[in-house]
Amino acid sequence: MGSRLLTGVLVVGLLLSLFLLVPQLSALRLPGDQRGYEPRQPIAFSHRLHAGELQVGCLYCHAGAERSRHAGIPAAGVCMNCHRFVTAPLGAIRAEDDLARREGRKPRPVISAELRKLYDALALDENMQRDPRKEPRPLAWIKVHNLPDFVYFDHRPHVGAGVTCQRCHGPVERMERVRQEQSLTMGWCVNCHREASRAGAVAASIDCSTCHY
Amino acid sequence: MGEDSPTRYWKSWEERTSAATTEAGHDEFPEPLGGIVGELSRRSFLKAAGFTAAAALTSCTRTPVEKAIPYLLPPEEVVPGRSTWYASTCAGCAAGCGILVKWRDGRPIKLEGNPDHPVSHGGLCAVGQASLLELYDSSRLRGPLLDGKPASWDEVDRAIVARLEAIQQRRGAVRFLTGTLTSPTVQALLRRLLGRFRDARHVTFDALSSSAILDAHEKTHGVRALPHYRFQRAEVIVSLDADFLGTWISPVEFTEGYGAGRTPEAKPVRFSYHVQLESRLSLTGAKADRRVRVLPSEHGSILTHLAGRLAGKANLPFAPGPSEASPLPATLLDELADRLWEARGKSLIICGSQDVSAQVLVNLVNHLLGNYGATLDLAQPSFQRQGSDGDLEALLQEIHAGKVSALFLYGVNPLVELPGGSALASALKRIPLLVSLAPRLDETAGLAHAVCPDHHFLESWGDAEATSGIVSLSQPTLHPLGNTRSVLESLAAWGGRPAAAYDLLREHWERRIFPRQHREGSFQAFWDRAVQTGFAEVEPRRVQVKPFRTAAVRPIGRAERPPTGTFALLLYPKVGILDGRHANNPWLQELPDPISKVVWDNYACLSPAAAARLGLGEGEVVRLEVAAGDGKAVALELPVHLQPGQHDAVVAVALGYGRRGTERFAKIGPQWLLARPGVGADGLVGKDAAPLLHFQGGTLRYDRVGLRLTRTGATHPLACTQQHHRITTPKNLPLVGGEARPIVRETRLSLLLTDRAGGHTEGAQETEDLWPPDHPTPGHRWAMAIDLSACTGCSACVIACQAENNIPVVGKDEVLRQREMHWLRIDRYYAGEDEVDVIHQPMLCQQCDNAPCETVCPVLATVHSAEGLNQQIYNRCVGTRYCANNCPYKTRRFNWFAYAREDRLQNLVLNPDVTVRSRGVMEKCTFCIQRIQAAKIEARQRGVPLADGVIQVACQQSCPARAIAFGDLNDPKSQVAQWMQSPRRYRVLEEMNFRPAVGYLAVVRNRTETKGGAPHG
Repeated sequence: MGSRLLTGVLVVGLLLSLFLLVPQLSALRLPGDQRGYEPRQPIAFSHRLHAGELQVGCLYCHAGAERSRHAGIPAAGVCMNCHRFVTAPLGAIRAEDDLARREGRKPRPVISAELRKLYDALALDENMQRDPRKEPRPLAWIKVHNLPDFVYFDHRPHVGAGVTCQRCHGPVERMERVRQEQSLTMGWCVNCHREASRAGAVAASIDCSTCHY
Repeated sequence: MGEDSPTRYWKSWEERTSAATTEAGHDEFPEPLGGIVGELSRRSFLKAAGFTAAAALTSCTRTPVEKAIPYLLPPEEVVPGRSTWYASTCAGCAAGCGILVKWRDGRPIKLEGNPDHPVSHGGLCAVGQASLLELYDSSRLRGPLLDGKPASWDEVDRAIVARLEAIQQRRGAVRFLTGTLTSPTVQALLRRLLGRFRDARHVTFDALSSSAILDAHEKTHGVRALPHYRFQRAEVIVSLDADFLGTWISPVEFTEGYGAGRTPEAKPVRFSYHVQLESRLSLTGAKADRRVRVLPSEHGSILTHLAGRLAGKANLPFAPGPSEASPLPATLLDELADRLWEARGKSLIICGSQDVSAQVLVNLVNHLLGNYGATLDLAQPSFQRQGSDGDLEALLQEIHAGKVSALFLYGVNPLVELPGGSALASALKRIPLLVSLAPRLDETAGLAHAVCPDHHFLESWGDAEATSGIVSLSQPTLHPLGNTRSVLESLAAWGGRPAAAYDLLREHWERRIFPRQHREGSFQAFWDRAVQTGFAEVEPRRVQVKPFRTAAVRPIGRAERPPTGTFALLLYPKVGILDGRHANNPWLQELPDPISKVVWDNYACLSPAAAARLGLGEGEVVRLEVAAGDGKAVALELPVHLQPGQHDAVVAVALGYGRRGTERFAKIGPQWLLARPGVGADGLVGKDAAPLLHFQGGTLRYDRVGLRLTRTGATHPLACTQQHHRITTPKNLPLVGGEARPIVRETRLSLLLTDRAGGHTEGAQETEDLWPPDHPTPGHRWAMAIDLSACTGCSACVIACQAENNIPVVGKDEVLRQREMHWLRIDRYYAGEDEVDVIHQPMLCQQCDNAPCETVCPVLATVHSAEGLNQQIYNRCVGTRYCANNCPYKTRRFNWFAYAREDRLQNLVLNPDVTVRSRGVMEKCTFCIQRIQAAKIEARQRGVPLADGVIQVACQQSCPARAIAFGDLNDPKSQVAQWMQSPRRYRVLEEMNFRPAVGYLAVVRNRTETKGGAPHG
């Protein structure tokens, strides 16, 4: 009697846990799979605005993708090519202009809070001049697409073979904050290499030493 | 070649003599299974399991957050992740080889030879390769010291200038003691500084002195200069104890030239005849076609007899006078004289002796043979050795007499490079102003009032004119790591005209170097070109050579021999350590000596016969004692090393050990339960042998007679790698055709000339295969060929591999446990009895097509690539070590520990393109796969096919002898495919059907007789 009850309880428990766990199976991840990683960055830089709305080319900032293993995070100097002049969103500058006209004074420079961080890093004052009281301090961005140290990925052959940036990095031009879309696991890499070779587009090697050495 | 019985090769004296083949080194892992744990009890098993579980749980942490920190304002030439190369000049010794500095993300990570450089032609020795590590040495001084305390440069300069002014008013003597200065700018600044004082002099001293050669030329040719030797032009080379391929003057340059004169495949065949008469077995002697053991003191007598014979042929009067019988047999002398005379104008005789009268005889022989202007050039001399031991002796007398008011030391460390010890120390202490420019607080700098550390050569501007007419330039490749200062700036500051090193150099080049050339019209163009290429070829500084003065020649009738019961002593430099200035470099300390294969120690080399006579064995400590000048004795206790091929009456001891700074190697290896210290009882690595040096006849002598040797009863284990990782063929394995082939092979030039195959029976019989041919290599097929005939064993490749592939240093104790990590080792084989032949064989992963390691790996961490490589995937390896156990070549290395580098700063030297392996992982050579991948990507990006020679693997690039070819075997025009076609080509253990991708070309010796046969020419 007691044993039958126990069996019943166990069976019910098993069914319940299967019921709860099976839908979760799709979310089962291999270790190191960081899909959905979306860290907060030191400056709330919007890829949606720059790459999507303003259509700045990916390689304008990440020029290393064509020249080096690493695509690279742009130096603050690259930002300054535009942001020496663009110091705040257009709306905020217009509002200040309107206010100044109404108050009958010269408009004050408007600097957005996020861009202020960039200028602080470069130790610049409001007039884009070097402020001797400040110390230049580089920006420490958080790596989103991060491969283990034993993987030697090289951007150049991928860019050269016509792989779009979005293929691995997802629709960055629609992301406000960059998020990891693809798993970046080895199986994911190898599958793509296999498909590319099968399609006859390029000879994408699947030798271990293509990436591991 | 059927008439020749196969030569028996052996690796150590123990192996030679023991009747049963010693099993040492046969096992890949010599320690018993279980190691320190022994029999595992249930209790300890549970304990270990518990710890493992706990460790596994603690490692389950969140993925670490990685940061990417870009530049604020990017320097124009920097592309993160991409390497740039800068041309510069090596300052590891005074030879002045051209280097290319691999520069990545703001720091140099590798040095390579500059292929365009007219001195070194692309080679770079082990010391040059390793000098990079000294840049990242935390024991370098961070800034100047004044009276032992850190001070600012202003304070130090003010103190020095003030004391110098006081000395000037007292008309005190100001002396500069430096090593050879090849830099024209430093010389000019030094002259300017010395010109400000009434009594000032510059004395040059080389710890490895060639003063006698310069002195002899002053006597015979009226110029105190070192000739520029051109080995590529010599058809007959006779060397008396000059180790020109290993340590003598400019080994990289000489190796290149020597190799160029020995090309058995060229048409017409050029192959020099090289005779080495020497007392110890040197790297050069190992390569010789004929090697005869003589005492160092017999050089003069041999030269006198040789000169007498040659003078007879030249019809010139030279009477040897009454002399003892020649130490060499008359037949040999006749043969040498004939050979030399036939090749007059194309021969070369050199001598490593510091006896001026012997060197005068060398000059006479070269003069009689008409070699001046042909194989050795005195009109455009070399500046690689400038030391004058006569001047040095005079300076030492002044110092002892208290006549020196100010002494500046640059590039020298007299306390451990000169005899005299405590007396010299107390005399130095009495000098009112002692300034050292040493980069570290060495023994002498410890006494100095002011220490003004010089930059590392990779941090500063500089120049070097190593041979007349070739001026090389050094440029800084990173911001100085400490508050050090270039010697140029120090000299300028004390001379009252402080300026930046760059300006000083440019100014000197504009005024002095630029007018010596006519190629470039403007100085800026000339300068830019020199900075880009690393050197400038200008009008040589010609010296006025007077006609040969026969009157200077004195025959030497009698050789001084050690009295019975005593030995002759020879102090020599080791290939890696040289004069000891690199003693605190762990890469060089752990580099096995190419001959003795011992690491981390110096020792007293004895011939096996002498050791047997005294009943001494390997590692037994003996007391070496010589009489000092004042009736006292100088003694040194060192372990014995049995060195085959050494003269029976000679004890050889390496210089450059027992240096301050090596005490930090006490804990260099992993500090585990059974770790033993890596240093001697006195806390240092090895013993300083400089007290055994002495002055005689105006020169510093490295050899002497009358050495007494007594047993102390103590023992000191020597970490010797010669019996590690031995290649053996299993006795119980039936071989196809029942034939085991030698692992190293040699042939004779005469055979090669008559029979294209050189008597070499190529046994490429295709044997049945267990595996189907299922790994095709349609694209590239990487392969390597190593010419053993060109290889000198200099070990530059070993350090190049270590630098390129982030190979850790394990320390003496781990080497004793057969756990050294070098992926590329050089196996040294002996053949013969007393006059041993030596063959060096670089041994690395052979990338077998039928790789025994691949079939046993349970996790597929080692698999074959589609390009014929045997890949090792570190992140997949679980450390079963089955592969190493199954590797017949024993080229796999296991990470027993996470080899924490004891010097954190030295991690900056790591190559970011190669994984730093962690504990429990097997590793090995994969033909510098990172370079292959980089070159393939580069070629693909440019849309061009990968040309032969674009990929230079690290060992190949640095090889001064050009002994290594690497490339694509599927390209029949590639260099490696050509070499593989050579009749000399064989593969190691070919009969086992592993199908290695590495081919070896058999050694060629310029002899007609077999080993031990009748000597004739």
